[in-house]
Amino acid sequence: MEEKVLQILEEHCIEALDYDGDSMMEDGIIDSFTVINVVSDLEDEFDIEIDAKYVVAENFKNKEAIIALVQRLLDE
Amino acid sequence: MGRIMDTAFRKLIVIGYGKVTGEVLRYVRERQEEYGYGLDFIEHEVHPLSMTEKICEEKGIPFHRITDKKELAAFFDGLEERTLVISASNNFLFPASVVGKANITIINFHNALLPAYPGRNAPTWAIYMGEKESGITWHYVTAGVDEGNIIIRKRCAIGEDTKAYELAGSLMDLAGEAFRECFADVMAECVEAKEQEFVPERRMYRSYEAPADGFFRLTDRAEDIYRLLRSLDYGKNDIFPPARTIIEGREVKVLRYRKVTPQKRKKEDGVIYLPLPADSFLKIKYSALDNER
Repeated sequence: MEEKVLQILEEHCIEALDYDGDSMMEDGIIDSFTVINVVSDLEDEFDIEIDAKYVVAENFKNKEAIIALVQRLLDE
Repeated sequence: MGRIMDTAFRKLIVIGYGKVTGEVLRYVRERQEEYGYGLDFIEHEVHPLSMTEKICEEKGIPFHRITDKKELAAFFDGLEERTLVISASNNFLFPASVVGKANITIINFHNALLPAYPGRNAPTWAIYMGEKESGITWHYVTAGVDEGNIIIRKRCAIGEDTKAYELAGSLMDLAGEAFRECFADVMAECVEAKEQEFVPERRMYRSYEAPADGFFRLTDRAEDIYRLLRSLDYGKNDIFPPARTIIEGREVKVLRYRKVTPQKRKKEDGVIYLPLPADSFLKIKYSALDNER
């Protein structure tokens, strides 16, 4: 799963892979429109619904947070 | 460094909630010392991914969250200094009392090439109407919606697969670029603004209107269905309800859609594939409407 998430991030925002901070949006690594693209690909890849309530900066603060979000949704 | 640029504006107020709002805020903060204006930011609509509050905190810009329309109108009515209001991705309609105040000039970013597509959700309508290009307009605000004189316009292409949120994002980037280009002239009040040329059939697009009412039939051309779905697509932003169609006699809602190659087709429950030109398919994942569950 992790590898697929990273592939999706690489496609839309390669800078996210090397980012080691904790606020990609504030630091200008990813913007809200890229988040929408990433969400769309994650939903398609893992056949999950990512509800709008999860599409918040905290869940996209770095690649680990995105992986954790997908894992949570897969476990539900 | 003291004030070196001449302007009559003593105060700038930025209002908005999108990506372009952040860009405008950063830019006017950078130029603040040169012009010597006061700067405030107003958040009227709250967006979960908005970074404007953080930007204000980081740059020391006074931040006001005013979600009530009457309170906001009163805030503007109470301004006494010569003020430039920058409406950057903002849906608050300035009341006539504010627009008419002699000490206030308002400029607004519209995400279409005015006079085309005035009103709401312009990227949606441009895609749905099959336009090959769209663009942005910065214009002066008058009492009529999106009717003021044009300060600057910039164009961009609409691709065959462009979705509404992608176009909206590109337009915000263009708007930031255009704002930086016209800022000095706006501040010096020397813009050669152009009057809009209205056609008799001009119509205003309202927030509650969706193309084709968000409904399609499986007998429609797949290209047209794809265009409709792209035009309604703002990702998780709740701009429009999901698109609907009839499958096996039941009305269903579209959960997701995607253009795929023939190799990606696989039999799944709740998924249909419609043939598109150029050896591709429109994959539509659907489910029952909420009130049928």
